[in-house]
Amino acid sequence: MTKKTGAAFPYVLLVLVAAPFITMYVGFFLRAFGEGPQLGIFPERFGLSNFSFLWEPITWGLAETTIWVALANTILFASVSGAVVTVVCMLAGYAVSRIEFKGKNTFLVLQLFLHAVPGQILLIAIFFLLYYLHLLHKIPGIALARASLEIPLGVWMTKGFFDAIPWDVERAAMIDGCTRLQVWYKIFLPLVKPGVAAVFIWGFLFAWHDFIYVYTLLPGTAKLMSTLIQSLLATEVIDYGYLAAMSLLYMLPPLTLFVLLQRALLKVPIFGGKGI
Amino acid sequence: MMKVTLRNLCKYFQQIKAVDGLNLEIAAGEFLALLGPSGCGKTTTLLTIAGFYKPDQGEIYFDEQLVNDLPPRLRNIGMVFQSYALYPHMNVLDNIAFPLKLQKVPKSEWKARAIEIAKLLEIADLLDRKPGQLSGGQQQRVALARALVRNPKLLLLDEPLSNLDAKLRIFMRAELKRLQKELGITTIFVTHDQIEAMTMADRIVVLREGRLQQVGTPDELYDSPANVFVASFIGTPPMNLLDAEIEVGKGDYRVKTSHFSFSLPKEIVAKIKYIPSHGVVLGIRPEDLIIGEGNIRGLVYVVEPLGRDELVTLEAGDMRLKALVPSRLRIGLNDKIEFSFSVERVHLFDKETGKSLYKEA
Ligand SMILES: Nc1ncnc2c1ncn2[C@@H]1O[C@H](COP(=O)(O)OP(=O)(O)OP(=O)(O)O)[C@@H](O)[C@H]1O
Ligand SMILES: [Mg+2]
Repeated sequence: MTKKTGAAFPYVLLVLVAAPFITMYVGFFLRAFGEGPQLGIFPERFGLSNFSFLWEPITWGLAETTIWVALANTILFASVSGAVVTVVCMLAGYAVSRIEFKGKNTFLVLQLFLHAVPGQILLIAIFFLLYYLHLLHKIPGIALARASLEIPLGVWMTKGFFDAIPWDVERAAMIDGCTRLQVWYKIFLPLVKPGVAAVFIWGFLFAWHDFIYVYTLLPGTAKLMSTLIQSLLATEVIDYGYLAAMSLLYMLPPLTLFVLLQRALLKVPIFGGKGI
Repeated sequence: MMKVTLRNLCKYFQQIKAVDGLNLEIAAGEFLALLGPSGCGKTTTLLTIAGFYKPDQGEIYFDEQLVNDLPPRLRNIGMVFQSYALYPHMNVLDNIAFPLKLQKVPKSEWKARAIEIAKLLEIADLLDRKPGQLSGGQQQRVALARALVRNPKLLLLDEPLSNLDAKLRIFMRAELKRLQKELGITTIFVTHDQIEAMTMADRIVVLREGRLQQVGTPDELYDSPANVFVASFIGTPPMNLLDAEIEVGKGDYRVKTSHFSFSLPKEIVAKIKYIPSHGVVLGIRPEDLIIGEGNIRGLVYVVEPLGRDELVTLEAGDMRLKALVPSRLRIGLNDKIEFSFSVERVHLFDKETGKSLYKEA
């Protein structure tokens, strides 16, 4: 008996620690699907009325938009950001992994340093930069700025993928007639495919969740999911059920992406064995 | 067919002189082996010829064309790497056809040529497989097929046999030699295995610490090694090397070791360039030792049967000598025996420089 209780102890402890979070998540789901007054975290009855934003326009103050516009904006923002991170990191990672050039180590150390700088510090500078480039208030322009925050670490990440590919494979490709660029896209990219997916998703997710860049660099009328939810929070009467339902929708795409691709993401390219 | 000329080729890695002043002419259609111990610069030489390393000094010519600045992809070379370096994400057919596809050869043609070369190398039934699903020997053939598919003017092989098991290695040795002669492609073959070099190559280049030691046919290297290093590197079991001195009498040259002495025959005396004052190294090949007759006394230290032959280690004074003798001698451990050697087949080297005392043939 005592043995059994002893074995159960860690679980009890873990449940106790996890309980507040679990309660919050459960409450969040119940809220999203609940209707009427609440009894603690339990709603009076269940229904889909909180999801009315799916078919009705969303208003705050005098402005209005639809969820579909906000969703499309967010997808555009996150995709452009993810794509930019992927393309730049894959090219830069190859260069720092395979090509010798002056100042390479300084460059790499600088990347780590840049990664350590919080993105908010750069906001004002980026504001002016985008302004002079005529990219301010444009979603792809802001996505570009957002991508730049992830690139420093991304370069290190992709360098790691390419470092794992044996030199002989690259030399074989060059003997066979490849230029450096051809080696990159005909041999290296296919070999680090899971890495490409990982970098893209990583860039996508950070942009998806971004608030501060979108909030400061886009006009108030152009809403992304994060800023839309924020503006609803800022109104006088807060409908928590409505917000919970919308937040659920906001969570869904990254969650799906992660579940779908987690197996590919775990498949880091491994070399070795019989001369491969 | 293409001739390759290396003029004073040098490649340094910081302080390490990986290739140091290599002069070499490789005839069109020749099968040349680069032989040397690990780290002597064989791979570096090959990679420099292929264009991956820029020589720090010297020139590389393909026929009469200076190719120092030509990138690897334009050199029309086929290369097999020690690791084979197949493309893991492509199947065998695509691996073999890759060089042709890069040249924008139409599909019907690249397919036909890849299949043709696959048949030649007996891997036509593996075309759909990925490299990861092949044995080492099969991978090696795919790598060879890929190197040959576009009819390269020069074939570079970096220890292509070293990952194979002993039996397959001996088989592939013969296959490769035959294939090279059939196709007539100028070939440079890197190995640290002197038997591989001896059995396959038209000529062998012996390297040590980036420097050329000797170039010659297998027989030349075996019969007249240019220095102590080549003498000890070529031949299994290796040559016995003993410290000795030459005493010049009236019309008589006597070689004295700590345990025995003998007079040099006229043919050998005629070959000697000079007699160093600081002593010589006497070289006797194990197969030139004669056991059971002669006037040198020794003790059998150990006997290693090799099937047809027996390798006997003899103790004579403070020296140990290896002798290769027919198995039926039936000698036992610690037997006292007399032995001698073929004096007309001995080698003599300068003790200080290690260089042979013989005039070049
Ligand atoms: N990229 C490099 N950077 C620095 N030193 C190198 C490099 N490549 C080779 N070397 C050095 O140059 C020397 C020759 O190396 P190389 O690879 O040519 O030898 P090898 O004859 O092919 O040896 P092995 O039989 O072990 O393959 C070695 O001392 C090695 O450490
Ligand atoms: Mg090597």
